[in-house]
Amino acid sequence: MNLKSTKMQCCFLPKQLCLVLITWLICQVSYAQQAQNITGKISSESGEGLPGVTILVKGTNAGTATDAAGNYALSVPNGSGTLVVSFIGFLTQEVTINNRTAINITMQPDVKALEEVVVVGYGTQKKVNLTGAVDQVGREVLENRPMPNLTRGLQGVIPNLNIRMTDGKPTRGAEYNVRGATSIGAGGNALILIDGVPGDPNLLNPNDVESVSVLKDAASAAIYGARGSFGVILITTKRPVQDKAQVNYSASYSLNEHTIRPEFVTDGYTWAKTFDDAFYSWNDYNQHPAKANSVFPVSLDYLDELKKRQEDPSLPKVDINPTTGEYVYYGSTDWMKELYADKTASREHNVSVSGSGNKADYYISGRYNSQDGIFRYNPDKYKMYNLRAKGSVQAFDWLRVENDIAFTQMSYFMPILNHPSNTPVWRRISDEAFPISMLQNPDGTITENGAIVFGSFLSGNNHSDLNQVQIRNTSRFVASFLDKKLRVSGDFTFQRTNDVETRLYTPVPYSKKPGVMLERGENKMNETDEKTNYLATNIYTEYEHNIGKHTVKGLVGYNYESSSLRSRFVERDGLLNPLLPDFSLMNGQNFTLRGGGSEWAIMGGFFRLNYDFADKYLLEFNGRYDGTSKFPQEQQFGFFPSASAGWRVSEEPFWQNVGTIVPEFKLRASYGSLGNGNIDPYQFLETMSVNKLNMVINGTRPDYTQKPNVIPAGLTWEKSTSVNLGTDIGFVNNRLTTSFDWYTRYTTDMFTVGLPLPAVFGSAVPKGNYADLETKGWELSLGWQDEIATAKPIKYNFRFILSDNVSHITKFNNPQGLINTYYEGMRLGDIWGFETDGYFQDEADIAEHADQSYIRVAAANKPLPGDIKFKDLNNDGVIGIGKNTLDDPGDQKVIGNSTPRFQYGFNTGADWNNFFFSAFLQGIGKRDFWPGTDNSLIWGPYNRPYSWHPKDVVENMWSPENPDAYFPRLRGYTALNARAQLVLPSDKYLQNVAYIRLKNLTFGYNLPQQLISKVRMTNAKIFFTGQNLWVYSPMYKNIKTMDPEVIEGSDPDINPDNRNSSNGMSYPMLKTYTLGINITF
Amino acid sequence: MKKFIYLLLITFFCGCKEELDLQPLDKISPATAFKTEKDLQLYVNSFYTILPTGNEIVRGDALSDYLVGKAPDSYIVPNSFTSSMASGWSWGDLRNINYFLEHYQEAAISEEAKNHYAGIARFFRGMFYYNMVKRFGDVPWYDKTMDVTDTDIYKPRDSRTLVMDNVLADLNFASANIRATKDNTASQITKWVALAFKSRVCLFEGTFRKYHPELSLAGTADKWLTDASQAAEDVIKSNQYKINKTGTLDMSYRNLFVSETPLADEIILAAVNNKSMRVFNDANWYYTSATYGNRLSLIKTFVNTYLNKDGSPFTNRPDYNSVFFTEEVKNRDLRLKQTIRMGNYMRDGVAAPPDFTYTYTGYQPYKFTLDSKATDGVAENYNSLPIIRYAEVLLNYAEAKAELHAFTATEWNTTIKVLRERAGIENAPFPVAADPYLKQNYFPNMEDPALLEIRRERGIELVMEGFRYDDLKRWKAGKLLEMEYNGLYVPAMNVPYDLNEDGKPDVSFVTITPATKVPGVYYFLIDNTQSKLSEGTKGNLVWLINFQRNFEDYQYFYPIPYNEIVLNPELKQNTGW
Repeated sequence: MNLKSTKMQCCFLPKQLCLVLITWLICQVSYAQQAQNITGKISSESGEGLPGVTILVKGTNAGTATDAAGNYALSVPNGSGTLVVSFIGFLTQEVTINNRTAINITMQPDVKALEEVVVVGYGTQKKVNLTGAVDQVGREVLENRPMPNLTRGLQGVIPNLNIRMTDGKPTRGAEYNVRGATSIGAGGNALILIDGVPGDPNLLNPNDVESVSVLKDAASAAIYGARGSFGVILITTKRPVQDKAQVNYSASYSLNEHTIRPEFVTDGYTWAKTFDDAFYSWNDYNQHPAKANSVFPVSLDYLDELKKRQEDPSLPKVDINPTTGEYVYYGSTDWMKELYADKTASREHNVSVSGSGNKADYYISGRYNSQDGIFRYNPDKYKMYNLRAKGSVQAFDWLRVENDIAFTQMSYFMPILNHPSNTPVWRRISDEAFPISMLQNPDGTITENGAIVFGSFLSGNNHSDLNQVQIRNTSRFVASFLDKKLRVSGDFTFQRTNDVETRLYTPVPYSKKPGVMLERGENKMNETDEKTNYLATNIYTEYEHNIGKHTVKGLVGYNYESSSLRSRFVERDGLLNPLLPDFSLMNGQNFTLRGGGSEWAIMGGFFRLNYDFADKYLLEFNGRYDGTSKFPQEQQFGFFPSASAGWRVSEEPFWQNVGTIVPEFKLRASYGSLGNGNIDPYQFLETMSVNKLNMVINGTRPDYTQKPNVIPAGLTWEKSTSVNLGTDIGFVNNRLTTSFDWYTRYTTDMFTVGLPLPAVFGSAVPKGNYADLETKGWELSLGWQDEIATAKPIKYNFRFILSDNVSHITKFNNPQGLINTYYEGMRLGDIWGFETDGYFQDEADIAEHADQSYIRVAAANKPLPGDIKFKDLNNDGVIGIGKNTLDDPGDQKVIGNSTPRFQYGFNTGADWNNFFFSAFLQGIGKRDFWPGTDNSLIWGPYNRPYSWHPKDVVENMWSPENPDAYFPRLRGYTALNARAQLVLPSDKYLQNVAYIRLKNLTFGYNLPQQLISKVRMTNAKIFFTGQNLWVYSPMYKNIKTMDPEVIEGSDPDINPDNRNSSNGMSYPMLKTYTLGINITF
Repeated sequence: MKKFIYLLLITFFCGCKEELDLQPLDKISPATAFKTEKDLQLYVNSFYTILPTGNEIVRGDALSDYLVGKAPDSYIVPNSFTSSMASGWSWGDLRNINYFLEHYQEAAISEEAKNHYAGIARFFRGMFYYNMVKRFGDVPWYDKTMDVTDTDIYKPRDSRTLVMDNVLADLNFASANIRATKDNTASQITKWVALAFKSRVCLFEGTFRKYHPELSLAGTADKWLTDASQAAEDVIKSNQYKINKTGTLDMSYRNLFVSETPLADEIILAAVNNKSMRVFNDANWYYTSATYGNRLSLIKTFVNTYLNKDGSPFTNRPDYNSVFFTEEVKNRDLRLKQTIRMGNYMRDGVAAPPDFTYTYTGYQPYKFTLDSKATDGVAENYNSLPIIRYAEVLLNYAEAKAELHAFTATEWNTTIKVLRERAGIENAPFPVAADPYLKQNYFPNMEDPALLEIRRERGIELVMEGFRYDDLKRWKAGKLLEMEYNGLYVPAMNVPYDLNEDGKPDVSFVTITPATKVPGVYYFLIDNTQSKLSEGTKGNLVWLINFQRNFEDYQYFYPIPYNEIVLNPELKQNTGW
């Protein structure tokens, strides 16, 4: 498909209809003259013939249009005239005939015109006429970039569309945030619509996407009412190509590796010595460890023995203890090497067939994407199938009917641990995989530590199987009346989504003694089955009227949506045969069968009014009357209006002088108020859930119910009111385009906790509409495109986007000013902590310093040189947290802020002589990160003495010889235990996780036309792409074990309750090298 | 096509307001929750979470005079506990009970059935308030649920007498109305559970008032003690329970704590753990991990109170404080070897002497742990643990009677003597002389020989089961928490000792770990900072000498959390905090 049809697909009127009409008209008025006949071909830059191009003889009515192949024949009065060749989307050319009889013309695309149309709510709008803050990107940002889901491709491409991919798992979606903090109460993310109907972008075929448009301010989102209060993302899928059939096939093969491979100490004795030191020091140098965590025995003798074996590698790595007969391990195991395969592959195939005729068009696409897992044993496997079939028929000349059906199936197999804590594998490795232990015994059986860690991957039959199937059908019609001035459109969508996850747990066999097998873990299977039925319908009417320079457009419509979720959870133990995991082959006494479900419905009536005068003064009003089932009856409905205005200064006469340098200059302003009904259903009702007791009464674990929640006295919509000021400027013949928007969004009446009540109340204080928030921000985008005129022109472009936002709490129920929750005036993301003053130098230094006993360095808490010295900011002689309030924060202050600031993206591309290149850099400019408690990637032995020991950490520990080391005196548990010196946030170890990342780098080659046309191809290219190839973060100065993007906490899929700390125990971010082809027939 | 438009129109016109009134699909509402007996049963099941869990029982005596671990409880370390660290002021359970009591009458069932469930609710309310009064002293009494505007949320505390009278009324109602069928799973609240619990509550209240004259309630003590003895007697006379003597005598006590199925002859109510239902406690992990648990061990002063097998006090021998462990533990009350590791104790068939990786005194308890190491590193202990057992009822009865001066050889023979017989003690005559060791080390003001023996018996029989701290409070014996943490007798330093007489040395007490070590020996560092020997280079091991401990009278009442005083100044903090 060429660029032209990409941009034009948003028009509702079939273009070809217009062309036929025009041609017919022209044919009627043209009349024959004896003079001269001219023939020729009008083609696009790529050499394709352009059908329907208008050719007029200047100053006459004579003219014609090209046929389907782009050829034309025209009779002109004489040979000295001029031809005017015009076609929508291309620059109009004037060519003197000069007595020629054959004139071939290549049309140049009109860049400005192409950029013109932007998808907005329930329609399209010319970009120059936009008054709200709307940003759009085309499919080019997704091209040549294989990706498991669409979300990964949209990160960093639109300013203030904030997508944080928290790890590299192929199933990982993300919340789509527009313009920063939304609500600390109900929360809220952008509303995502696919072809006008809410949908899940993660289940969409990225190759089907034509454009992505983001409505950022209240004025542009108002038409979506209560669901669009925090922005709207409009994803539009591809339309058929005009007037011909086209087949496109693309395929790619990728190799993946991790962006970061932390380097850990793997030598057994070195590790064990550090482990012993860390344990010994926490215990005030009184006591050596007897076990490494739960089962691995250690002692000083053992340490000596390890040392012996380090010095003499010929000694065996495994012995038998003569007393117990059990194995004794002297390992130097690199557990990460055991866990991960070296490189893994992923692949994608995509086929699309599309075409159109006079009355009908169709688009059919299919995609297969698979990604092999990262693990060495029994690895995970991701597969996704997409199918879409879309077609439309011009039933009558006034009615067009379309149907679009999409089917998606995603499956993900993931090995899991058979461990009661149900934590992701990295957590157990950090707690139980010691280099001194081993994965397998000499006889090939799994060791006890191996069984705890990921023996379940090795033994198999411990896995989660996730299957997601979605069928979605949208039928729509467009009826045009009154010379197409009045259009009625309607659509009806049903969508059925079925998520099924099966988890199988089979005990892991292991051995501690030769010939004696034991087992660990549970024997059970469970299945979660969720079905969602979703219905949506829209019906709306548009009317457009021009009188002279006045243009008035109006739109009125109605929307109804309902969703019903039903879920089921089944679990039983006692699998008879792990190879036959079926509930009918289980005989355990422990079984659970749980149902569940919820429903919601919304409806709304909406309108939009546009007025423009001479494309110069632009006005728009939007409003929506919205209702939702989530509120009590008397509060169900709300009305949300907005207004916006634009002034195209460049259209004013006085602008003429600067018009050549700055051809486009527009000012925009908008104001609007939207509701946020994004709360869980049934919040206003007293409900009593039924659950199973975790205790045995009378031989069973009975169900129970209990007192209902206390409901709020009143519950109503949160409101989000926003003001937006913006400008669009085009410089130098519009080669440089720029947009800047500044906004403030007030989220008021947020649904948060009420005023604290004494505990005797006996229930959680009901939430209500109690808090306010203010977010201020701005966004900038700059684009440049040009070509360097050489024999073979070099075309190139840049696009740079930058955005920022800051939020403050302006109202919150916290009369005491506690700093461990929200308080008025708080900037969201603020990190409270201590200032440090280096390390204690000597005993005198400790004695002179303020009383630091609040902060723990050891079990008996006796500080020594090398422990961290905290500043007594309030000069009271005691280090502490005071009352932990704003008035008395003790020695705490705000040391940083965890909100990502200055998010940016930089895109560049060039092509020359069939070669093309593009690069995409993305990052954030400022963000602080406090490595949470229990983060062994950063703290190593300072966390749990026996956890993994990153090389960077152990080589950078304080000692009398190395007094300026980054890390203090080695003290185990000081990053784990309450109030310990590395648990309390401090400026010294606050990490700067700003980063810049080369997200994508592509080189490609378009095979020459002469070559491919022989095999009837119209386009063929081959490309190489690298993703996440390079990253830099200031954090790397001290910490090289974490990816700056994977800091949000551990993998939530296995155990969502176990996500508390920001420990990076997640699926690694992947670096991908791809080779791909793309062929069009 | 027509169909499509038709569908659209239908959705359009049906999209009226009723479409937006959606009710929950998977939850019940108060209007439907109190109809049948099954509904009431479903609701009262939620009260059972008030009972202590297996894990809470395992940790029950962490703060006591006879157990010591890694560090003393901060509550008794001077200047380390403040009201902002206070916890336990949680009232959700009470609201849950009161909500039930406000609604159970809606059920269309017999009065008997309604009263049965109301009895269970009031049993738990009694338990709730008993726990509150024990902890905080005076507390506000609520017998209703409140909405956010109810001014009673901000009322001051009610008097102890009012609250405890209400507790008694609840327990009386419970024992009069809960069904009497004995529950052989020892997991449900029955009339007998209510009566046994009532004996505990009344004994607490009676003795607390008696020994805390500062409350000026001593005059009412006897009434409570009478109620205590009566409630206990009701249980005894029901003949539903007896002291477990199944199996050999040297296991009949231990079996109460390591059986998966509660031994319901003696156990009246248990925290039931069950392997096939995967409801567990973590005793093995807690007691055999150097880091996970608190490494609790008994101290020697207490172990000394275990009688000799012949019924004579061990402390009668002049060298009682300087005999070596192996000698010391021989021929004692059989409960000693069922409480701590000693002699030929084996785990997984391998000799298991006291392990100084987990013990600081040598008297390493294994009362709740299983003999297999399989659950050492995981929370998968499936032994059920007693919450109320018949032995306690006998002890409650004996003590209440003795406090009422109505304790004779008859009562002795049906209570203390029964327990001593189960412990293999050959002679248990009614005591006539006060034991000087108990007087000197525990209760200097106690003259009654029988009462002294009852207190000895209570300490030993119920050791680690979560009674001790409450007992010290009601006896006003909090000062005992300052007792020295002493361990076994060490005849000499740098000598490896064999603690279980299997010929293999187990532990050596050193100031510096020697370069050449004897395999299998744990080298216990005597650093004279944290640990020392009572006579310098020999003597009793003394642990945690670096911590000062202090228990003052104001500490009999726990502080109300600081935050709550701020929210409701009418509450007024307990004095001293």
